[in-house]
Amino acid sequence: MHDRHPESILHVDMDAFFASVEQRDDPSLRGLPVAVGAASGRGVVAAASYEARRFGVHSAMPMVQARRLCPDLVVVGHHFERYREVSRAVRAIFADVTPVVEPLSLDEAFLDVAGAVHLYGEPPVLGEWIRGRVRDELDLPCSVGVGPTKSVAKLLSGLAKPDGLLHWPAGEVVERLRPLDVSALWGAGPRTAERLRSFGLRTVGDVADADASVVQRIVGDVNGRQLHRLARGEDPRRVTPRQPARSVSAETTFDVDVDDPDELRRHVLRLAGSVGRRLRRQGIAGRTVTLKLRFDSFETVTRSTTRPTATDRTHDLVTAAGRLLADLRLERVRVRLVGVGVSNFGDGGGAEQLALVTDDVDTHRWGRVERVADRVAERFDGVDVSYAALLDDLAGEGPDPDLREEVAEDLRPQRPSPATRTTRTPHDP
Amino acid sequence: MKLRAERTEFADAVSWATRTVGARVTLPALSGVLLEAGEGKLVCRATDLEVAAEIAIPVQIDEPGRVLLPGRLLAQLVARFPDAPVELTGESDRVEISCGRATFHVRGMQAEDFPSLAGPAEDAPSGRLRADAFARMVSQVARAASTDEGRPVLTGVQVTAADGRITAAATDSYRLAVRSLDFEDAIEGSALVPARSLQEAAKAATEVGGSVTIILEEGQVSFLFGDRRLTTKLIEGSFPNYRALLPDAHETSVVVERAALAEALQRVAIVAMGQANTPVTLTFTDGSVELAATNQEMGDAAEAVPAEIEGDGLSIAFNPGFLLGGLEATGTDRVRIELRDGLKPAVLRPHQDDTEAATDDLTYLLMPMRVS
Repeated sequence: MHDRHPESILHVDMDAFFASVEQRDDPSLRGLPVAVGAASGRGVVAAASYEARRFGVHSAMPMVQARRLCPDLVVVGHHFERYREVSRAVRAIFADVTPVVEPLSLDEAFLDVAGAVHLYGEPPVLGEWIRGRVRDELDLPCSVGVGPTKSVAKLLSGLAKPDGLLHWPAGEVVERLRPLDVSALWGAGPRTAERLRSFGLRTVGDVADADASVVQRIVGDVNGRQLHRLARGEDPRRVTPRQPARSVSAETTFDVDVDDPDELRRHVLRLAGSVGRRLRRQGIAGRTVTLKLRFDSFETVTRSTTRPTATDRTHDLVTAAGRLLADLRLERVRVRLVGVGVSNFGDGGGAEQLALVTDDVDTHRWGRVERVADRVAERFDGVDVSYAALLDDLAGEGPDPDLREEVAEDLRPQRPSPATRTTRTPHDP
Repeated sequence: MKLRAERTEFADAVSWATRTVGARVTLPALSGVLLEAGEGKLVCRATDLEVAAEIAIPVQIDEPGRVLLPGRLLAQLVARFPDAPVELTGESDRVEISCGRATFHVRGMQAEDFPSLAGPAEDAPSGRLRADAFARMVSQVARAASTDEGRPVLTGVQVTAADGRITAAATDSYRLAVRSLDFEDAIEGSALVPARSLQEAAKAATEVGGSVTIILEEGQVSFLFGDRRLTTKLIEGSFPNYRALLPDAHETSVVVERAALAEALQRVAIVAMGQANTPVTLTFTDGSVELAATNQEMGDAAEAVPAEIEGDGLSIAFNPGFLLGGLEATGTDRVRIELRDGLKPAVLRPHQDDTEAATDDLTYLLMPMRVS
């Protein structure tokens, strides 16, 4: 074993990913303000090129508003399959550097290069090498942050954008963090930052100097402790490589057993949404959809159905799981747990069933709606785009449990939310 | 109600009507078969709200009436009746059924609860087909329909009647089957028929034989077999313009023994089974087609089958289940496979060496799998 390199963590983030891919594939778009999204009146920007961002256009913005800000905006449709392909190619480059890669989404990942340093050079050199390969082989820009912790690396990649690399030596991190605005801290969304400011904590240094208990009182126990640590440059989280998942599932155990079929259906809808989002974030798709129910007698039933092609669309999961639920024809049974899962990710050499282009476009439209909803949820802290059938639940129960689940993963790896748990079964070694 | 029926006819009638009665029903009345006696005949009806089955048989009626009896129970009873006339008497709450020395009392349901579904209009134009040819066409085409309820339009078979021919087309977006057939009596019109209902009609056509009469109406289509009728609701929505999907040219054409290819495919596919999305790759070279499948966990398999190849050799991968479906559908001893390249749709057709011999006008288009 080597001594741990003091700043071995890289955060690699593709610049304006979808828009850059579009500009790469269509040279006539280069240098122009480009927005990826539906051109129709009610569309939303899924990604904006840097030329467009100069006009204030950003993702999740209504297309109408984007056009108002930037009258020359060029709107192009999505090609999610291509983005996924490119994402795979980027990850293949990472794999040449280190096996310790933790993808966060299609366009960003953490790398721990501690093991590669003695072979190839210092982390900033490796970062530049990755940027060079992504540029040469894929003709795409990306930004890299190099630091001693995940949060610093992520912060730096953001500051390095576009098309740059930033590196802070471990010894200087604490001092360099101090003057930054509190919103620079990972986990401090707009609301949290606003709350901190209202208590006079404006910079990272202010948070670092405050007593941990004070920060905890302002933003809550767990989040407060976390922010206080991050402000002092402490972040013990390791880069955890994701094993290729064998299944992705989400389940809910009810506080009070549920016997209302409509309520059960709404839970299935919500869980399918959670699973779908996770699939899309990881860039994977499965063919088998499983529904799991546990009754008040503790008897557990699982039903599954296998589709001809893999899907990551919430709409498909809802259809399949809803049908499995309907087929059980439950009457007056009390259910204590419901779960939705997807498996059968199809590693048959990466083969893919091609489909005829039919004018039955409804299902494809769903896919696009979901991608944009994902972007909205990613961009706006605490905002989720969901099914209208869940609106009452959301109003009644506060934030969607899925959202908590994602926070749980990013900041509190040891503490899964009590309401919703997402399980991933890794490959056997 | 009081009537007397011949046992075989009554048993046939009950079994015809109850074909739509499933094990699980949403409304209790849908588990029933409605018996209506009047004007010298007994009409039996049942429905699952998608398909309605009806049959009329001649009976001796002493007292007209209407009862709704549990379908499966009635079907089980009459199937085991001795060979003697069947007598029904009583009203819905208690019907006495006797046959020979056996007597049963059956509690019926409220006849008013049975949904009233319109049959075809008296003056609706009707087309006629040979029943066996119709059944064959349906078995060739309906297999390509989707079972994904999320895409309702694709769970149907598009039936088009024009220029003296009936054309059936179905696609699940991975394959497309199209077949035409000459009418004996022609009509014009089109309908998007649920594949399951159409398969039910085909099954009936096989059982009854003779000819089948088709009546296309707004929102429904009826299939008549003498005194028997199936009426099914249509799927709303428009079927994709499949004509535009059919390739107009090919680079390579292959003629191969169907049974030999199907057997080799099934052997090779054993390796692919159990693994999601594992394709079987077909490589067409001089005088043979080589099939190969690889499964990371189980190993690999390969087999070659002689084939007549015109044009350049190429490799193409398919979902083995979809390819097998296509081979089964063609039905001839030899099949023709038309190809363009490894990522373009392949077309399977029936083939006869004798160009004079008639073949089914079937096109089975199959999308390949991309292997990376």
